Amino acid sequence: MTDFAIEATGLKVHFKTGAGLVRAVDGVDLSIPKGAFHGIVGESGCGKTTLARAIIGLQSSTEGSVRINGRDRTDWQRADRKGFARAVQFIFQDPLGSMSRRQTVGQTLEEPLLIHGIGTASERKARLAELLDLVALPSTVLDRIPRSLSGGQRQRVSIARALALNPQVLICDEPLSALDVSVRAQIVNLFARLQAQLGLTIVIVAHDLAIVREVCSEVTVMYLGRVAEQGVTKPLFADPAHPYTQALLSAVPSPDPRIEATRPRILLAGDPPSPRNPPPGCRFSTRCPVVEPQCRVTEPQLRAVKHQGQAACHLAAAETHAVI
Amino acid sequence: MKSWPWAILTPALIFVLIGIFAPLLMTHDPTKQDYSAILSPSSWSHWLGTDYLGRDMYSRIIGGARTSLVAMVVVLLAALIIGVVIGSFAGYIGGRTELVLISIIDIALALPSLIIALALIGVFSGEAWSWMSDYWKMIIALTLAWWANYARMSRAVVVAELQQPYIEAARVMGASHMWIFTRHILPHVLGLVVVYASADAGALVLAIATLSFLGLGVAPPTPEWGQMLVDGMSYIEDNPALVIIPGLALTAVVVSFNLLGEAFALQKVPKAVRGGLLRRKKSARAGEETARAATEAKA
Repeated sequence: MTDFAIEATGLKVHFKTGAGLVRAVDGVDLSIPKGAFHGIVGESGCGKTTLARAIIGLQSSTEGSVRINGRDRTDWQRADRKGFARAVQFIFQDPLGSMSRRQTVGQTLEEPLLIHGIGTASERKARLAELLDLVALPSTVLDRIPRSLSGGQRQRVSIARALALNPQVLICDEPLSALDVSVRAQIVNLFARLQAQLGLTIVIVAHDLAIVREVCSEVTVMYLGRVAEQGVTKPLFADPAHPYTQALLSAVPSPDPRIEATRPRILLAGDPPSPRNPPPGCRFSTRCPVVEPQCRVTEPQLRAVKHQGQAACHLAAAETHAVI
Repeated sequence: MKSWPWAILTPALIFVLIGIFAPLLMTHDPTKQDYSAILSPSSWSHWLGTDYLGRDMYSRIIGGARTSLVAMVVVLLAALIIGVVIGSFAGYIGGRTELVLISIIDIALALPSLIIALALIGVFSGEAWSWMSDYWKMIIALTLAWWANYARMSRAVVVAELQQPYIEAARVMGASHMWIFTRHILPHVLGLVVVYASADAGALVLAIATLSFLGLGVAPPTPEWGQMLVDGMSYIEDNPALVIIPGLALTAVVVSFNLLGEAFALQKVPKAVRGGLLRRKKSARAGEETARAATEAKA
């Protein structure tokens, strides 16, 4: 039970704005075992990026705690910032913006080693070659500036930089959304290969369900700052318990035109409610096609469902659940 | 249009060279009075004639260049360092400290630099400050009058750079604040500030001459162009060159430095020197836009 890479309990991130309190993340519990490839999905504004940032401490949380490798994240960072950085790394959505425009790729990759005082100049050079090898980049990129690289190459560089310190946990904030669809597959495969090769725990924030289905061993579906459903990817995607997950999955197009023409689609009416003012009861109740009176009154808690995961829906139970 | 700015930068270059090699170029001691040759016209021994005390005008012009150059470099460096330190500190630390420092900077900027310098020289004229020479009083007064612009610029660059995602990336890698500042932020600050200083040099040379003209800067007999102008004014009918020559020298140097600054801004200097002032502005704007797009995507 203790072998969790990441454990978040009651995590809340609220932003004070002129228009009121935005509850970007509003009470999330998350347990990610070591060696898992965990996907966090949800539509724009559901708080998945904020959650990822709060896990690594780029965003201070309003309430709740995060434990990484069994240690309290806040204490760890306060006591040993560099040690924490060696254990947990983060990959940003925009690879170009996350690199200094004054540095070459070589300097960018060497920086973490320099910060941590790792190796001599020649050892660092060898490590750089190793890293490039790992992300399948030619050594010619070392002297180029990030701006002159293609989108896929940039993301490879930022992955290589995150791996430079040999972290155990890698958190990626939409590492694919800035990329061309054709390049996405390559980077996804890279993540899968690295995970197997290095035994990393990877948390990936995404809104592309097809990719999550492809590579993630487990998945968390978020809606309006809370977890709607979580579980092992395959059974969850095969038989989602939460109406929101069902709707999300029905929006994923199929490559087969015959299936695509006939498959049922669930169209949700309206926009997600504002995180400034979440509805009472179930947060999905305003758009849920199978809503019942109790949904508008009491907020459902996560409970065990058929696919061995958990869902926050009054209509879902261990044996059966509502199907839209 | 493409080649003339280069020609006009020559006075600035000559000024710097003359200032450096002044002792080799002087034919006479610029402070030595010669009552047998008062107000003499130009001759083989006095190329530009002599002033009302028989001092060699040519050597005094050369000596004046050195006086101005040394004062200018010292004030510029000191103001730049003070400004960069205070401005960067304010921008990096943020919060109430930043607010207090910005207020001080704004007050300093609200008053014309020369007025501040004059007021400070007035303060320094008190008994308690008599251990300082007039020359150093002027340098300190000018430094205190000049740093605010650099502080304001440094702060603006620091604040803009801090919002860039790569700073966050460096934090994630475990970089200390000192590392982030010296490795990532300071180069941007210096890039802008040094370019601004090149244009500011002319204004400073003029300010030094102005203070000396008013008798508040360099004290006689040290040669200084502003002071030579005053000295020459009384004898303008005997020898107009006494006023015209230092005036021309001053004008040429100030105009030349101003154009140098403009050339930097217009990218009319070699790529290596340019440091990409305008390019950086553009990419900073692009950075803001991607940052905005990113927040919009998140929202």
